[in-house]
Amino acid sequence: MMMEWIRMIGRRARIVLNWRRVEREMDEEMRLHIELEIEDLVGRGLSREEARREALLRFGGVERYKERGREARGARLLVDLGQDLRYAIRMLRKNPGFTAVTILTLALGIGATTAIFSVVDGVLLKPLPYPEQDRLVVIFEQNSPSNRWPLSVVDYQAAEAQQRSFDRLSGLARSRAILTGGEQPERVRVGRVTADWFNTLGVHPAEGRGFLPGEDRPGAELVAVISHAFRESHFGLGAEAVGRTLVLDGDSYTVVGVLPRGVESLVGWRADIWPILQLQPPPRRGPFFIQTVARLRSGVSLDDAAGDLAQVSERIFPIWADTFQDQEARLTPFPLRDVMVGNLGGPLFMLLGAVGFVLLIALANVANLQLARATVREREVALRTSLGATRGRLTRQLLVESTTLAVLGGLAGLSLAVLALDALLSMGPQLPRLNEVSLDGRVLAFTATLTVLSGVLFGLAPLVHGLSSDLAGTLRSAGRVGSEGKRSGALRSALVTAEFALALPLLVGAALLFTSLGRLQNVDAGIDPENLLLARVSAPAAKYPDGASVQQLWRLALPRLAEMPGVAAVGIGSGVPPNNPGMINNFDLVDRPVPPGSSQPAVPWIVVSPGFFDAMGIRLLRGRTPDETDTSDSPRVVAVSSAWAARFYPGEQVVGRQLYAGGNMTNPVTIVGVVTDVKYSGLASVDQSAVYESYTQNAWRSPNLVVRGRGASVTAALVRNEINAVDPDVPLTEVQTMREQLAASVSRPRYWATLVAIFAAVGVALAAVGIYGVLSYFVSKQTRDIGIRMALGADPSAVRRMVVRRGMVQAAIGLGVGLAATLYLTRLLEGLLFEVSATDPATFGAVSLLLLGVAFAACYQPARRATKVDPVSVLTEE
Amino acid sequence: MARSKTDLLQGTLDMLILKTLALGKLHGWGISKRIQQMSRGALEVNQGSLYPALYRLEDRGFIEAEWGISPEGRRAKFYMLTDAGKRSLREEKRSWKLFSEAVELILQTSQ
Repeated sequence: MMMEWIRMIGRRARIVLNWRRVEREMDEEMRLHIELEIEDLVGRGLSREEARREALLRFGGVERYKERGREARGARLLVDLGQDLRYAIRMLRKNPGFTAVTILTLALGIGATTAIFSVVDGVLLKPLPYPEQDRLVVIFEQNSPSNRWPLSVVDYQAAEAQQRSFDRLSGLARSRAILTGGEQPERVRVGRVTADWFNTLGVHPAEGRGFLPGEDRPGAELVAVISHAFRESHFGLGAEAVGRTLVLDGDSYTVVGVLPRGVESLVGWRADIWPILQLQPPPRRGPFFIQTVARLRSGVSLDDAAGDLAQVSERIFPIWADTFQDQEARLTPFPLRDVMVGNLGGPLFMLLGAVGFVLLIALANVANLQLARATVREREVALRTSLGATRGRLTRQLLVESTTLAVLGGLAGLSLAVLALDALLSMGPQLPRLNEVSLDGRVLAFTATLTVLSGVLFGLAPLVHGLSSDLAGTLRSAGRVGSEGKRSGALRSALVTAEFALALPLLVGAALLFTSLGRLQNVDAGIDPENLLLARVSAPAAKYPDGASVQQLWRLALPRLAEMPGVAAVGIGSGVPPNNPGMINNFDLVDRPVPPGSSQPAVPWIVVSPGFFDAMGIRLLRGRTPDETDTSDSPRVVAVSSAWAARFYPGEQVVGRQLYAGGNMTNPVTIVGVVTDVKYSGLASVDQSAVYESYTQNAWRSPNLVVRGRGASVTAALVRNEINAVDPDVPLTEVQTMREQLAASVSRPRYWATLVAIFAAVGVALAAVGIYGVLSYFVSKQTRDIGIRMALGADPSAVRRMVVRRGMVQAAIGLGVGLAATLYLTRLLEGLLFEVSATDPATFGAVSLLLLGVAFAACYQPARRATKVDPVSVLTEE
Repeated sequence: MARSKTDLLQGTLDMLILKTLALGKLHGWGISKRIQQMSRGALEVNQGSLYPALYRLEDRGFIEAEWGISPEGRRAKFYMLTDAGKRSLREEKRSWKLFSEAVELILQTSQ
């Protein structure tokens, strides 16, 4: 059946496409017929003249049969379509109010859905912009499904030398560097990469070249590729860029290539400069900092590669066992796209679902509008039917009309989507791949499909009603009295019910997300966030080549800052709350070592100056904090958080215990104090274990400066002046207050909650408009009934109750259905909620009440109008 | 030229065309002549009406056409039955038989 149907479409398409030839053949065929008939008749003894007349007579009107032939071929469809379209446009122009409201409603639904879809598509669905992107993988070290980390030099070099699954393999070390040689030192984003980086990805510089094999060996010339934007801002577009020299952290790099315009980030890392990464032979297994991207050999599966890499892991483990004890850790490949997108699938599909609900509510409203108008148009339909229009023809006419509306709505929606997308991108938080989001062909195809489907969907609504009505009755009644069919009335109520059923999950979702956001923002990060200024300070490597010189810089600068007027306390820390641990270090307790072969614990390891604790408002609970008396000549000491103490020595003395840090199994560090807990791994994180070490024992080149003001925040300009007085080459970047930092840390949850709330607001407003419209219509149709009731002595309040009850029943049924659906749907939100149950009864109750309130408000006005019906005028009207 | 002509029922023409083509491929004029012959002239279609019927059958996939040289030595479009057409013809024959028997029955009882 389906096949037949497809073949027929194919035949028709061929005919429409070859219309001219089809016409020509039809001419020829009919001419031949007549000629043969003439020959035949002449053969029977007629004169040629008589024969011609008789043949034409017998054939019976060439043009007429040609026309009917065309009809038989389906051409009729095209002709009719043109007619229907003209008619539809005429009808829409005759009802500008109806048309405008419909188009606006559709534009809202389609526009919002298009905007969200383009984000979902750009971030999640579209293939990455690299050739044969499905063969690209990221290799991590992994010891459990939830714990993976980048490779060390040892891992990387072993993988590079021993793997048999990849065509190419390359590494990236993300960092920032100080660029000197310009007017003032500048902190730039760099991606240090090995020689095969650009070849692995299949990205080629637009000018110059990429890196050559061997350029990543120590001792080779230092080269770099720069981004187009960097080229433009630093060299201009006219001058030659290739061959120029860049001084990064004191080292001179020669520019050998410029990336194409628009390629500002690779594998999610945006960098101004891509210097060559030359890996020195490693003294130990760690540290782990190389993001490794590889291209699978064609025909090799992810599992094959995983097996191959597992063998490499096993081979290198014994060689480095004295500096790395985790025998479970395996080199493991993951598809690059999954790694880049991370856990965004949940929230983004939630947004798409939410906006889809808004679209459905909008469609229900439009369908309702169409139904109302179909009733008004009953007479027109009846008239056309009695004049011989077939049901099929009328159906087509209505569908053409609704599709025309949908297309206009879709076009308006598309312009709305352009604005909405702009707002989405400029106001939203940083998400991976946002630079790939655009209203491209894929999105347009999606919108077009959506538009046509919408048109058919709401176009079908009046069909249920319009074509089945009693013709004669309609014509006779002259469309005056409410002849609303039972069926269309029921459909109308069902649509309103559905709107409320759809609005409820939207509103509950928004409420849950906001409750969750509120709880998240109320989480005590363990610090006093008021009057606290944060900034990044960096000691340029050119001037401060080693740890001692860096330490000397801070030793000089910190007291000066502390003496500034209005400063209560000042400190530096390699990490800051709420979501920047800076470094996570593994360690082993001297008195309770982990069993051989299993993973060591790892916690945020914060390198600080003593002032850090005061500035942050972290209190000392026991012992002392590490300070400047602890130097490279004295024994290494650390303080731990109280959560750390409770985790590793519950109920025991902690001060005085020792641990081996970062795989260094010879010189243990000693715990000298316990301080209060701070959140370093996000406000939602549970574990607050942390270790603090003094900067005088572990130099940190680019720490966070924290300055607590006395009564008010200190201005960044003052701080910068003071730093410049010490050394004008030390840049101060990423300046913000702790309040801003806290707000930024919840920017994603806030974004999701805000968007869902906007959709919920639009959805509820549309549902309210829907119920208002249906009730108003009901009242206007029932004017006569109401008038009679009131003439018979019905109380206005009884009339009001009747109308309100009618609306509220629809809303209540909707809410009932919606509740069931919501209980199921909000479970999908669980991963996004913090300390709120996805089925939180309070939220469900409050939102249901709110929606009932909205429904009541929307019902009240039509109900009041019903009580204003004047019985006298109604009764005399007949 | 006085001939008693019988109006063709809608759809009957389609069946007759299919029947005609069951014997082999024919061009349009050939089909009209064959129908005339087979009905011994009792059925006369308005010859032009043959063509919309042919196109309709082609559209529904019951027949297909190809260009060739006619027995009269002219370039002509020949129609032939498809498998779907053969099935349809069997179906039509069966229902026609049922129909005509029913009509026959009614006519006999009313005598």
